[in-house]
Amino acid sequence: MDSDEEDFVFYGTPIEREEEVTSRKKKAVADASGLLRTLPPWKQEVTDEEGRRRFHGAFTGGYSAGYYNTVGSKEGWVPQTFTSSRKNRAEIRQQSILNFLDDDEKVELEGHSLGTSMKFDTFGFTAAELARKQAEKEQQQRPSIIPGPAPDELVLPATDSIGVKLLLKMGWRHGHAIKDSRTNSLYDARREARKAFLALSSDDKAAQHTGSDDVKGDLENVVELPMDNDHQSPHSTPVYVLNPKQDLHGLGYDPFKHAPEFREKKRSRLHEDKESANRKPLSIKDNLFAFRSGRVAPGFGIGALEELDAEDEDVYASGYDFEETYVQEIEEPTKQVVDKVKKRSGKEQGVLPGFKVASNSDYQLERFDPPVIPKDFVPCHKFPAPLDMNNRFSDAPPPEIPPPEDNNLKILIEGVAAIVARCGKLFEDLSREKNQSNPLFSFLNGGDGHDYYSRKLWEGRQKRTDGKKLELDGKVVSSVQKMTAESRGNILGERPLERTSKDLSLASTSTDVQLQFHLSDTFTKPESFNEVPDAAKPFRDDPAKQGRFEQFLKDKYHGGLRSKDSSGASDMSEAARARERLEFEAAAEAIGKGNWGKEISQSNQQMRDMSINTGLQFTPAGLEKVTQVEQLMKKMYPKREEFPWRPSSILCKRFDILDPYMGKPPPPPRLRSKMDSLIFIPDSVKPVKVEETAAAFTDSVSVLPPGSEDISSKEATGEFQNDVEVENVERPVDLYKAIFSDDSDDEGENSSPKQVEDPEKKIGAASTTLNRLIAGDFLESLGKELGLDVPPDLPDLENRTRVSASHQDTVNSKKGNVNILEVQNTLTETLSSENNRSGEVELGKVAQVDRHRNRASRSPEDERSRKRSRRHRRRSSNSDSETTSSDDYRDLPHSRSKGREKGSSREKSSSRKHSKHHKHERGDSLSRSHHGSEKERGDAKREKRR
Amino acid sequence: MSGGGVEELPRKEAFVLKGHEGAVLAARFNADGNYCLSCGKDRTIRLWNPHRGIPIKTYKSHGREVRDVHCTQDNSKLCSCGGDRQIFYWDVATGRVIRKFRGHDSEVNAVKFNEYASVVVSAGYDRSVRAWDCRSHSTEPIQIIDTFLDSVMSVNLTKSEIIAGSVDGTIRTFDIRIGREISDDLGQPVNCIALSNDGNCILASCLDSTLRLLDRTTGELLQEYKGHTCKSYKMDCLLTNNDAYVTGGSEDGIIFFWDLVDASIVSSFRAHASVVTSVSYHPKDSCMISASVDGTIRVWKT
Repeated sequence: MDSDEEDFVFYGTPIEREEEVTSRKKKAVADASGLLRTLPPWKQEVTDEEGRRRFHGAFTGGYSAGYYNTVGSKEGWVPQTFTSSRKNRAEIRQQSILNFLDDDEKVELEGHSLGTSMKFDTFGFTAAELARKQAEKEQQQRPSIIPGPAPDELVLPATDSIGVKLLLKMGWRHGHAIKDSRTNSLYDARREARKAFLALSSDDKAAQHTGSDDVKGDLENVVELPMDNDHQSPHSTPVYVLNPKQDLHGLGYDPFKHAPEFREKKRSRLHEDKESANRKPLSIKDNLFAFRSGRVAPGFGIGALEELDAEDEDVYASGYDFEETYVQEIEEPTKQVVDKVKKRSGKEQGVLPGFKVASNSDYQLERFDPPVIPKDFVPCHKFPAPLDMNNRFSDAPPPEIPPPEDNNLKILIEGVAAIVARCGKLFEDLSREKNQSNPLFSFLNGGDGHDYYSRKLWEGRQKRTDGKKLELDGKVVSSVQKMTAESRGNILGERPLERTSKDLSLASTSTDVQLQFHLSDTFTKPESFNEVPDAAKPFRDDPAKQGRFEQFLKDKYHGGLRSKDSSGASDMSEAARARERLEFEAAAEAIGKGNWGKEISQSNQQMRDMSINTGLQFTPAGLEKVTQVEQLMKKMYPKREEFPWRPSSILCKRFDILDPYMGKPPPPPRLRSKMDSLIFIPDSVKPVKVEETAAAFTDSVSVLPPGSEDISSKEATGEFQNDVEVENVERPVDLYKAIFSDDSDDEGENSSPKQVEDPEKKIGAASTTLNRLIAGDFLESLGKELGLDVPPDLPDLENRTRVSASHQDTVNSKKGNVNILEVQNTLTETLSSENNRSGEVELGKVAQVDRHRNRASRSPEDERSRKRSRRHRRRSSNSDSETTSSDDYRDLPHSRSKGREKGSSREKSSSRKHSKHHKHERGDSLSRSHHGSEKERGDAKREKRR
Repeated sequence: MSGGGVEELPRKEAFVLKGHEGAVLAARFNADGNYCLSCGKDRTIRLWNPHRGIPIKTYKSHGREVRDVHCTQDNSKLCSCGGDRQIFYWDVATGRVIRKFRGHDSEVNAVKFNEYASVVVSAGYDRSVRAWDCRSHSTEPIQIIDTFLDSVMSVNLTKSEIIAGSVDGTIRTFDIRIGREISDDLGQPVNCIALSNDGNCILASCLDSTLRLLDRTTGELLQEYKGHTCKSYKMDCLLTNNDAYVTGGSEDGIIFFWDLVDASIVSSFRAHASVVTSVSYHPKDSCMISASVDGTIRVWKT
């Protein structure tokens, strides 16, 4: 160090005193080294940073003021962060003056506030209140388990107040009025006197005097009346009956807030429910708002946006009750129940051994006095529509009045009176308003005949109430307050709906059958079947059968709720029943079509024909043929048909199968038309098309002369094979076209140069006439099918057919034997063949035959049957399409293309683009003729979709 | 395989599976018979272990009643259909709907997977049978068959055929391999069809309370089974796993067993309080489940 100092050059002299500095430094060093820390606090010295002690003053701390010369505290200041979370609430420190006062100062402060001590707090008011407030304050300050201020009721003074103690000493008991019994009588006497006085004064004196008296009297009443009324237990003060909370409403929510009259009702019903739960069998009944048509499956609603429709009905619920069915509230008049309740409550007195019923109980309902009626109150309320007429009958009946001379007026008055008596005053008001200007109705306003009217009205009401009173009497007496909906309805003159009343009567025994009955009764019975008109009684000659038929009709419209054993006649065998059912089915369908009258005769005729042919008789309950029928059924079914079907390529791929149609164009449409099957029936391939042949049969049967049939069939047999080979036949389509399309079109065709080579006239005259007849008939049916108007005048039609026939003769000359007549011939051929085959024709098929007949005369709107016969239709339409598109054009382009510019281009394109010919043919058929457009559209759509 | 005697028939109630609220419309074993699926009017599909009688999982997504459910061979996917006109394609493990196929115009009555679980075939009240592709993301049907004249009640698939029965009285077999449709007209509304295990016969439940057994190759009627009631409801029928007996429920809650050959009722017992909507037979063991409108599924064992 010395060597270091030697190096320094010092200028001037240092002022510091050597010893001071060293001593202080020494101390500082000692401090730093922690020597002093071991000393107890009172021995330690406080120094500033230079080690100097600081003197604060002799009385303000000396050398050590505050906390060792600091403003801190023993704990010192700790840096903190304010944290407050939901779990850990930060304490709120509120400083008050008390925090900064010494104990003696606090004592000083306390002395300034005065209050009664708890002990002498008469009504428990001030001290308790203070205590409560204090508690509240503390409550607010500290976090508590129960958030929010504690309810006052919970913080009760622990001891009785001095006042209560005094009263108890004087003999008062809890729940008694603080009143002398003597005062009661005294008051009474005084009041009586006052009353008498008032009566006198009101009689004698002027009004201004009574005015002042009134006030007095009122005041007195207020005071007196309470004593007056609680005569049952004059000494008790009301104690609130605490009702246990039994409902599911929120606390404090009162559903009967604005309708307190229902409160009692609800309570009584609850009571009844409890009472009756054990005794009553669970009966299920639709209530007013329940879904009527069938029951919705229990437990599942549907979305708000969905409609409740037939799909949601619980089809299974019809015959079967679930265990978990819920009991709906039964709106039954509960007279007996109430009676029983009362009886029981009477009996229950002294039921508990050792106990007897208290003469006066604490539990008294609080009863309030009626409000004071002001003096000027008029005790008559004017209702806008006084419905409660029963009360009004007590007044004397109006005197007997002779009816007015005018008979019309008399009738009118009586009618109105009757209606008003039934419907209530409201109707009268309404009609009065409506007919204000009408002089005829002046009796309503007190004009002509008013007296008579009021008399009549009174009579009508009397009549109505007399009847009602009889049934009401017992009810009203027994259940004074409990008014069921029914009784109320009775009082109000409401007429219960028919159904509900029926339901009520049945509810007690509500079995499945009845439910079913109701459902079917109310919903599913169409009007037309309510009474089968006499004309529509197909089995008139056999009443039993007719009965069964009607039952069948009913059942048919029950839907899923079919009663199983309804088919009556137990003596009938299963098969006989089945056959009868088929018969019924046919008959019902005919009725449904609405043309029963004429249909039934025809179908009967047809049935007879068929049965004659088959050697079976449609006698009612023909049991002898049953086995045969069954065998026939078995023979008929199952029957197998095969069609080409094209699976989509991706389906094949997914099934891991080679596409059988791979690389092939879309499959040609099936040969499925009605005419096709008629014309080209190769018996070996095609299954027996009973319905189709039958359909054709019905079309032609009426016009077929027996002789011509033979001829045509003979000829047909000759030509039949040819047709099949040639596959080129002029279809009757051209015939339709010729008739339904424009004349100009026809002429255009006719005038076009035709290659008439040799119009071979092979067919005899008989068959041509037959031809025409059949064609006409066929056309008619076709026209019906298309919804077109068939020209009613036959000659015109015949002319047209003749024109077309000749036209076809000329047109189709290329193949000489190919002719329109083919159609008829083959038709009749199939007919006769069917007749020959009659042994195979199965009886049950009659129903189908009939159905098809109906379809032949199909109206455009019965979509449903059309859908069912879709395949059927497809066949016929396909024949049409083929005639119009492929065959026709392949053969006759030369004959047509020249004359008809309009159609030819389209035709060619259609024949070229074979695959697309559907669309074209639609267009063609639309433009050229009206026929088949609708059908084909559907067909084309179908084909496209496949 | 069970021996085949009458005493081998599952007639003892092993478990009652309760959980469905309301009618159970179908109950099906899975491919190996270890689990079963059920669906019902409460819009749920439930997966059960019928051998222990415990519910495993509930699948909820349908908006209306679920009419049919089917499970793939590998148990990984489900398909279901019902009143909401959609076919749901489910993942079994997660319970999520993978895809919904919309297109049916009306309620869907039945649904089946094909062998490779690549196609779902559904039959609907809209008179159509539709095939849906599970492989692609398309929700359009890959094939619509609408030759039926009335509601199609049930559908069955073989390796190369789609067989469906309809209320129009026909059972139609659509052979994909040769591209033909074969229609067997029974003359009575067909409620349900079931294939025999050898694949040679079809059992059809008709609404005239008759089960009919058809030979598939010729379309011949082999046998008729009567005695039960089936007039209004969609109910199942089937052959036992050894093809020895025919079984089906009745509308009065009774399950019937007929001898396959001579059509005699070998056994019948009251199984449910109400309509037996569905029956399913274990693929190997002598075990059967039945579902009913009374809301229960019952497991029957010998």
